[in-house]
Amino acid sequence: MKRRINIGLLYSRSGSYSLIADACRMGVLTAVAEVNGDQALDLTFVLTERDPGGNIDLYGPMCEEILHDGGARHVFGCVTSWSRKEVIPVLERAGGTLWYNQPYEGFEASDHVVYSHACPNQHLLPLLGWTFGRFGRRGYLTGSNYIWGWEMNRLARELIADAGGETLGERYLPIGSTEVDRMIDEIRATRPDFILNNLIGASQYRFLNAYAELGRQDKHFSPDRCPILSCNLTECELHAVGPVAEGLVAAGPYFRDAPGPAGVGRFGSSHEAAGYAAVWRLARLLAGRPGAENAPLSELLASTAAAETGIDPKTHHTVLPVLIAQAEGGSFRVVKDCGSVAGDPYLTRGRELALPAPRLRVVP
Amino acid sequence: MKRRVRSQNLGGARAILLHRPHPTVQALERQLAAIGLAVEQCWPDLPASAIAADFIFFDADHGHDSQFPWEPGNPPMPMIALIGSEAPGRIEWALNAGADAQLLKPVGDGGAFSALLTARAAFEARQALAAEVAALRQRLDQRQTVVRAVAMLMGLGKTEDEAYAQLRAMAMAWRISFEGAAERVVAAQRGPDTQVRGGRDD
Repeated sequence: MKRRINIGLLYSRSGSYSLIADACRMGVLTAVAEVNGDQALDLTFVLTERDPGGNIDLYGPMCEEILHDGGARHVFGCVTSWSRKEVIPVLERAGGTLWYNQPYEGFEASDHVVYSHACPNQHLLPLLGWTFGRFGRRGYLTGSNYIWGWEMNRLARELIADAGGETLGERYLPIGSTEVDRMIDEIRATRPDFILNNLIGASQYRFLNAYAELGRQDKHFSPDRCPILSCNLTECELHAVGPVAEGLVAAGPYFRDAPGPAGVGRFGSSHEAAGYAAVWRLARLLAGRPGAENAPLSELLASTAAAETGIDPKTHHTVLPVLIAQAEGGSFRVVKDCGSVAGDPYLTRGRELALPAPRLRVVP
Repeated sequence: MKRRVRSQNLGGARAILLHRPHPTVQALERQLAAIGLAVEQCWPDLPASAIAADFIFFDADHGHDSQFPWEPGNPPMPMIALIGSEAPGRIEWALNAGADAQLLKPVGDGGAFSALLTARAAFEARQALAAEVAALRQRLDQRQTVVRAVAMLMGLGKTEDEAYAQLRAMAMAWRISFEGAAERVVAAQRGPDTQVRGGRDD
């Protein structure tokens, strides 16, 4: 007899970032179907779903509904860091857990969240290290006007300064805004070595289009001289962006067409892979332990089953492959495999970028 | 003043929690461990090693001055008050003990990181101010020396303005402060064997 365990789903199926939400949701649903069909497991997951529709103010109340009315303790959801920060107080009050399956900006280790996707030491640091050695250290920073862009760019600014580089500009757009002309004008004027793109949704799509147009006018702004970098663009948005994404360099734990432990083409994107992995981790924490579904996360992570899930009991982050890949003909081609790296949200283990050794010159 | 608070350098830092065993201590230990700090809990006495800690969190509800082995209000590291009862007397005591930041009890899922950064920034600002005040105070104390040095140089037949100008020129040549130059002039005059000599920083 299988235990029926309620879990929640809190993804926005419409709005600016719905493509990412759909990808995560797909991964979660695939894994739930597998878990429910697995006769070796003594549990099935029953879903309660709420759709905030991209409205930030609905995340808190809807998370509360899932936890109280749905009787769930574990919620899979949230795309933006803003929405994650909205639901954490609700989780804390109710003793719930959010399984967050997005790359994010780090500097968080809530007792009520498991972070299944990459944080800066797994995306931004390796990506900038690779870029500095290949293109230079003069960057232009963009972002959507909320915490992901602000914090990513703050860290990038520090890393650029530490490496002796220069931040030539930093500009933000409200979520959903497509007024990218000023950014493009500033980029044209400052001629950076790379552009760090932390825009999301429609702003990002418009920006990539405008930058491709700039590249047609001036050869400096081509991917082989001044690439656009991203820590959250994956295959799930690539088709929406179209051919203008060509040459964009992204960091992530999984790319669809890269060989790896997950297998080529197993998931559509790293978002999907992270959602899938999160559900299986929860299943392993609960399987064979009746009553565990009512235990708080801290108790689950203190169990022996926790070690196999790869969740660090201190930070609730995971060990992930770190890959750097370049968009090419509608998919990503891996250009560097940095191996597996444990999430280090507060950069406690340092912030070295693994730069290539400096070239020494004989000074006459 | 615009402050740039850098988030680095917390990894490996040592924090002492001066608080009796309590769920608040557990919650705080969890947060600090996640941020990367080594944590030691103690109550009611601070161990001798506390002097080398990077941060001290202390109980503002039951704490008292004799717990701290340094001059009251002048701890050698940033301190963070753990405040349960917001009674004015207790807040006043916590401030006088040298709290650079605070965290309200019960401590839950957050607050430690901002308290650490706030406390460190406030502590550093306080240290910088104290150093500046000490330097200014020293210059004030040297006013009499300056007057003496000017009087001596005037005794050699200079006007007051010329004496000042000469003293300033000496300070520049020796690359020391105006007050430092005055001190050398006075010292050279006093001791029969000493001479006004330049070229070395004090």
